[in-house]
Amino acid sequence: MKSRKWLVQVILIAAVLLSACGQTGGGGQEPVVLKVGWTGAPDTLNPAYAFLTESFTIFDLVYSALTTQAVSGEYVGNLAKEWTHSDDGLTWTFTLNDGITWHNGEPFTAADVAWTINAIIADPDGWAAVSNYTANFVEAAAPDDQTVVITLDTPVGNMEYRLSWIYIVYPPDFEVFTTPEDLQNFTNDTPTGTGPFKVTTFDKDLGVLVMDTYPDYFGGAAKIDQITFQTFDNSDAMVQALKVGDIDMVIDVPQSAFATVEGFENVKAVKTEGSYFSELIINSAPADFDPAPNKNPALDDPQVRLAMAYAINKQDLVDAVLQDLGVVGDTIVPPQLGGGFWHNPNVQDTPFDLTKANEVLEQAGYVAGADGVREKDGVRLEFRLQFPSDNPLYPRIADLLTAWFKEAGIKTTPESVDPDSLYVQMTPAGDFDLVIWGWGPDPDPDFILSVMTTDQFVDGGWSDSGYMNPEYDQLYLDQQVTVDRDARQAIIWEMQEMVFNDRPYIVFWYEDLLRAYRSDRFTGFIESPLGIEIYQSMLQVEPVQ
Amino acid sequence: MNRRDYLLRKIFFSLVTLAIVVVLNFVLFRVLPGDPVRAVIGRNVRISADTQQALREQFGLDRPVFPDQFLTALGQWSRGNLGVSWSLRKPVGEVLVAKLGNTLLLIGLGQVLSIILGVALGLLAGWKRKTAVDVGALTFSLIAWAIPTFWLGIILLAAGSTWLGLPTGGIVSPSNVGKPLYTVLPDVAHHLILPTLTLTILYMGEYMLIMRSSIMEVLGEDYILTAKAKGMSHWQVLRRHALKNAMLPIVTLIAINLGFTVSGAIYVETVFSYDGLGKMFQTALVKQDYPLLQGAFLLLAVSVILANMLADILYTYLDPRVKAA
Repeated sequence: MKSRKWLVQVILIAAVLLSACGQTGGGGQEPVVLKVGWTGAPDTLNPAYAFLTESFTIFDLVYSALTTQAVSGEYVGNLAKEWTHSDDGLTWTFTLNDGITWHNGEPFTAADVAWTINAIIADPDGWAAVSNYTANFVEAAAPDDQTVVITLDTPVGNMEYRLSWIYIVYPPDFEVFTTPEDLQNFTNDTPTGTGPFKVTTFDKDLGVLVMDTYPDYFGGAAKIDQITFQTFDNSDAMVQALKVGDIDMVIDVPQSAFATVEGFENVKAVKTEGSYFSELIINSAPADFDPAPNKNPALDDPQVRLAMAYAINKQDLVDAVLQDLGVVGDTIVPPQLGGGFWHNPNVQDTPFDLTKANEVLEQAGYVAGADGVREKDGVRLEFRLQFPSDNPLYPRIADLLTAWFKEAGIKTTPESVDPDSLYVQMTPAGDFDLVIWGWGPDPDPDFILSVMTTDQFVDGGWSDSGYMNPEYDQLYLDQQVTVDRDARQAIIWEMQEMVFNDRPYIVFWYEDLLRAYRSDRFTGFIESPLGIEIYQSMLQVEPVQ
Repeated sequence: MNRRDYLLRKIFFSLVTLAIVVVLNFVLFRVLPGDPVRAVIGRNVRISADTQQALREQFGLDRPVFPDQFLTALGQWSRGNLGVSWSLRKPVGEVLVAKLGNTLLLIGLGQVLSIILGVALGLLAGWKRKTAVDVGALTFSLIAWAIPTFWLGIILLAAGSTWLGLPTGGIVSPSNVGKPLYTVLPDVAHHLILPTLTLTILYMGEYMLIMRSSIMEVLGEDYILTAKAKGMSHWQVLRRHALKNAMLPIVTLIAINLGFTVSGAIYVETVFSYDGLGKMFQTALVKQDYPLLQGAFLLLAVSVILANMLADILYTYLDPRVKAA
């Protein structure tokens, strides 16, 4: 009789599964839901302590800052209607927009802005994610409900950019925290903001975030009712979900899948200029640095670096490795930043020329040995070529570089390394020769420029090349306090040229930004030079009739 | 040796194993290269060196591994406290319990189905040896056993979502998150179909192959011939004489598989974005979340040891020879 019981159970399970199969959507007045798929998830919804891009995507929709980046790349007002600064650049006065309310219906005032900014100034450890943006801030004040006055100790060159990252929080939500740890442990799963959407559910474990439209948004309510964000652990599954219509939009289409997605029916795949770049890092830590770098001393010879630059076919890398989803790169400030304003267009890229590479090394006294590898004074041009194991493109770059370098009499041995170990090996130990890696710069060039400064080559710092140039460091400080945009541009152009010529980095390419959406369901996405801009698009999109 | 002594001995060795695992569990993750703080914050974020140092202090990573960190960890574990996950900022115990539930639902369902189907198919194939049924079942099982998990999952995902409209991932639809479980049960079942099917196919092959060879061996024994000679029907022979003996290897296999069930089906969970232990293992490893990894490995070790102990105990009932040993 036992077997019968089993049978009954099997039938029951099957019945549950089958009844589920019959479940289909339906009904007349369904809310309009835009379903977004991504492979990441916000680390937290607490702006004090959120670091991942995904968190900031959500903050843009839920919170508001004084300023925001427009699709043109310029910074425009958001909470602030207009602003002025004193002649010395030390006092900034902002006038707020009218009719702003918090998601709970409470009125929003200038005092809330002042509270947030002062809280960050007072507790930079607690507000670790944004405290960089209030460097040089003395205090914020609210003389009346519509006016915010920010005082600085030195002028700040990128004030509008910095303020665009300072999301104004609802003070009652945050006042209760007295220590940095308490503040950081606050997950803020249902944030109270002033933005166009209000988070109703955030389940990090299930990878689900749901937000409803906030009807009283001061910029005008969105045309859809709800957005859901769903995390996929596997990008193939995400692409399949877009194909069958389980989701309506993919924020980052993997390069390997882009051509496939372009072929999907009813899906529009959009490719726009992006800012992520990959580069060859050449160990530039000075020999007398403490700790002493462990590298092939030939790397200190500018002629060896020049020869390597001649021996890299960047166009081939873009075509073959990046599958043409990007453009050849030269400086560390991609043209996408600030709508092209910050990129130095005068830098002449080193062309691919193996004959020239050989000539340069010949003239510098490097003679080919029996095995074809050049050497001078007993130092062979033989280098480690390492790359982090989490990027599928890097092994292919390494293979191509090795083949080209061989033609120039340079021997490189590719090696894949766990990214954390690789970082520890590089900064500040300097135990490497050549490394392939990449960056995703901020919209303002300040961050990517800071990566090359001397004081970032410390434990926990951002410099991985060990590049040290006092002149560059001084220019970095200068551009921070230069309020005049054109003057700041001139400094930043000079810095790019310096890095380009000294070659701590040889930048291969700037990657395209790849997004896709269901064009049979939604219309009104804003395709700008910044790609499909999410915050602006979510306000505009509406269902296809 | 009587059954009590046998069990006591088994329990003692299980405890010794557990103690070794606890120590290894601690050491294993500390010898990994890399810096957990960097792993938690990732690469493309702006966080100052000072803040990173503060994080290290908060996690207790600024102190020496031996004896400070080790003793702190031992003290915590002995009080049943598995610590707080660095990346999730939640108590490890709480995280594990939540994920364990999800994983048990998925793997449990997959195991039960594959055991029933696999054993039945193995029995049939062994009984109808060298017929078309046997060859067909054998071919299917060999393929199912050898097939890469990830590949099968992706194929079923593509086929199921295209032709049957089944969900492409998750446990429940985003709009149903946070609703009481009983109202979303059909939605959960809907999401379970593809991952369960994947697991069932994957495990089934193994059960079938073991069952087939086991039943064939038993059917060749003299006492089966005797039973047949006594005039018993095929079915009676199978049920009364063959099945119990043939089940022994299957019990071992089930015990081993159930133990590892807790580690989750990493691939299946990743393909279907299923929030279970396997997926958590992977994330914890990538993030070098020591407390979470240790908690998870402890849970895995305990369940494997328990499952083996259970198999040993079951053996004393199924196989008289074990008692006598």
